[in-house]
Order: sequence, then structure tokens, then C-alpha cells
Amino acid sequence: MTLVHIHLLLNHWPIIGAFIGLGLFLIALATNSDHLKQASLGFFTFLALLAIPTYMSGDVANEVLKTNTPPLPKELIATHQGAAMLGLVFMEITGLAALIGLWQFSRMSRPAPGPVARWNSVAVLVLSIVTAGLMVSVGNTGGAIHHPEILSGQDTGSTVGAIGSKIVPSVSYFVTESSRWIWPILETLHFLGLILIVAAIGGLNLRLLGFVKELPVAPLHRLLPWGIAGFILNIVTGILFFVGMPFFYAWNPIFYMKMGAIVIAGTILLLFNCTASFRAWAQLGSGEDPPKLARYVAAASLFLWFAIIVLGRYLPLTQESLR
Amino acid sequence: MFFDIFRAIEATGLSVWIRESDSWFSFWMILSVHAIGMGLLVGASVLIGLRILGLAPDLPLFPLNRFYRFIWAGFWIQVASGLLLLIAYPTKSLTNPLFYAKLTLIGLAMVTMQMLRKRVFADASLNEATMMARGRVLIIWALVFWVAAVTAGRLLAYTYTVLTA
Repeated sequence: MTLVHIHLLLNHWPIIGAFIGLGLFLIALATNSDHLKQASLGFFTFLALLAIPTYMSGDVANEVLKTNTPPLPKELIATHQGAAMLGLVFMEITGLAALIGLWQFSRMSRPAPGPVARWNSVAVLVLSIVTAGLMVSVGNTGGAIHHPEILSGQDTGSTVGAIGSKIVPSVSYFVTESSRWIWPILETLHFLGLILIVAAIGGLNLRLLGFVKELPVAPLHRLLPWGIAGFILNIVTGILFFVGMPFFYAWNPIFYMKMGAIVIAGTILLLFNCTASFRAWAQLGSGEDPPKLARYVAAASLFLWFAIIVLGRYLPLTQESLR
Repeated sequence: MFFDIFRAIEATGLSVWIRESDSWFSFWMILSVHAIGMGLLVGASVLIGLRILGLAPDLPLFPLNRFYRFIWAGFWIQVASGLLLLIAYPTKSLTNPLFYAKLTLIGLAMVTMQMLRKRVFADASLNEATMMARGRVLIIWALVFWVAAVTAGRLLAYTYTVLTA
């Protein structure tokens, strides 16, 4: 397996997933099923995590295709990258909206479908329809690169791709060239995000591991959105770093290890701490011992978050010049 | 004269090893430890801060003093890993005014956190409203110092003028 395989391994999931998620969500709304609703909201958030390495691994495929003989039309790849960028942005926004909806289920005293829940369902529905629509373009433009049989005559155009392909270079310019201070400022924000993650996600997991047992779990869980805010800040700044200097990351195996760890740690956070499955642990009062499963999950979570920090710091290892 | 000292430090085996070794356990390992230490030190301060500022009112306040362990563990990790980084690049750090600003900010943040500990956590008989009122101004200053210290530290990589003597 080489780095090129990573894009092939990942790239169908967000596209097909967007439609599966949308289907599940529609059924959940139609049948008013809380369980199905949580499943589809959780699925959207997971897809938002998975879409990040999917987009990023595309840059390796791009570099390899440039050396193709005969050379492929550059517009095909630029159009696909543009569509993918728009798809990624909307997938992230959909995931965030879904996470906000999901969060209410993890609270012990969730109010019956209140105004927030109703507003949230509408937002997730609209966003996921837009995202699924964009994913059609992402799939079509991506397919056009290596399945010329689907191209009809000279028509390789995609409005979505054309719009998106203008966004990528302008974001890249903003991050790396518009000012020499943008990159350091983004780095600082990335570190502050790390601190929020350690404070809120680390603090909760430390309690679930059995330390600082004087603290009841439910109120500590109420601080978790601060850690999630740090996580979101780091996803946004991280995507900006990648768009600014894709060549620095796309060929780096440590980078893919970091992305893998982020998807797993994020999914653990999502499934165990942000759904109704958390309600049993939320009942742990002052001095009470956590159940075994909570300890294992917390230990895995803490290990992964610290591994992510270490992997991040090791990223420049293969880039001796930047040392 | 200062540069002679810097040069002497940079010529030591330890400095050369941290700076130039290809080992996975030299420069990048120390940098990773420095990042983890920052997470513990500032993360624990932020957790205490969020509670004192009233963001999780149901969370018992007094037991949070146990997070001072993480603050001090993080602090000494930072001192040890920071010293190693300083031995690797004395000229780079000590010729940059921002480096002294960073150290000053860390000092101010630690002093503020200790004042907070004395005023808020030393007396177990205080009620939580009093603890929050006493700690409010101090924790706001501590968080400002921490954010400034992290920013200064991050900018060190972009503002140095001389790498080695």
C-alpha cells in the first residue's frame, strides 16, 4: 500500500455516506424515532471527520497524476479539487449542526423536543441535502479523471467545481502569502485549541478514569463543549494549514497517522460522550467509581489525544529544511 | 562576550545532540514533551478558570484544587524540556526579546495562579459564592497571561534573528 491508496480507500465513503445519512435522517424525522435520529446525527458528524483525510489524501493522487503520460487535462483535476473543497466545507458545517443536535441527547435532563431541537432538525436537513448535492459533483468530477467513458463530448464542466477551484488558490494565498503573520497567528490559535481540548476533554476523561473522584461527572460533562470548541478551532486551522502548504503534509506518513488518530479520538468522543449512551456515566456522583468500560474508553481517549499532540510535533521530522 | 558563552554551550555534546541528531528521541521528542507540558499546565489552569468564572455552577469548586498537581507537574516538565531546548539553541532564544517576554509572562501567570490558590483554595470553610468572587479578577489575569505566554512562545519560531553563534 502506498499513500495513493489512501484516497482510493476513503473517497467513496463521504459521497455514499451523505446519502445514507440523509435517508436515515428522513426516516428518523418521519417516524419520530430518537434512536434513529441520534444514529443519523452521529453518522453525519463521523462523516465530517472522515471527509478531512479524504480531501487531504487527494493531493497525493493529484501529484501522481501530473506525471501521467499522456498528461491528463489539468482542468479535470482542478475542477474535482474545487468541488471537493466545497463538499468538504458543507460536510463540516453539516457535521457541526448535527453535533449540536446530538449533544442534547447526552444531557441527563433533555427537554422534550424544544425550539432548539426543532430548529436544529431543519438546519441539519437543509445542510445535508446541500451536502449530498455537492457530493454528486465531487463524485462526478472525480470519476471524470479516470473514467473518460462518463464524459459526454466536450462537456467536462461543473459549475460547482468551477466555483470551488477559485476558492482553493485564494485560501492558499491568504494563508501563506497575504501576510507573514497569518501562519503564526493560525499556529497560535491551533495551540490554544489544543489547550481547550486538554482542559475539557482531558479533564472529563481523567474523572472517568477514576482520578479526582470528588467531582461528579455530569457537571464536568457540561464543560465538554469548550473542548469541542477547541477541537473545531483546530479542525478549521488545520484545514487552512493544509490548503496553504499541501505538499508539506500530503506526502508525510506521520501526517496520516495523526489524521487517523483524530478520526478515532473524535469518533470515541462522539459516540461515548455526545449521545444518550453517556447518560449512565453522567449519573456518577461525587466519590463514585467509574464502570470498567468508562475506564477503558477514557484511557484510550487520553492516549489518543496525547498521541495526536506528539504526532503533530513530529510532522516536520521529514522536512529537515524547516528545522 | 555573550556570544562566546553561547558558542561554548552550542559546542557541548548535549547541545549538538539535541540540535543535530537524527534520532527520534532528540529535538522532536523534547518539543513534544514541551507541548504536552503546556497542555497540562495551561489546560489545568483553564479548567479551574472556567469553573471560577461560573461556567459549570454545579461542579463542586473546592476539589478543583487537586488540579494544582497538574499545574506544578506541567510547570516542571516545561522547565526541564525548556532548559534542554535552550541548551540546543541558546543564541536563537537569548537574542530574541520575545523570549524574555515569554518567561516574564509565565512567571506572572504562575504567581497569579499561586495567589489564587491562597485566596480561594486555602480555606475549606468558604462558601462557593465567596470563592468565585475572590478568584474572579485573579483568574482573568492568569488566563490573559497564559494566552499571551503561549502566543509569545509560538511566535519565537518566527521572530528570531540569529540561529546559532
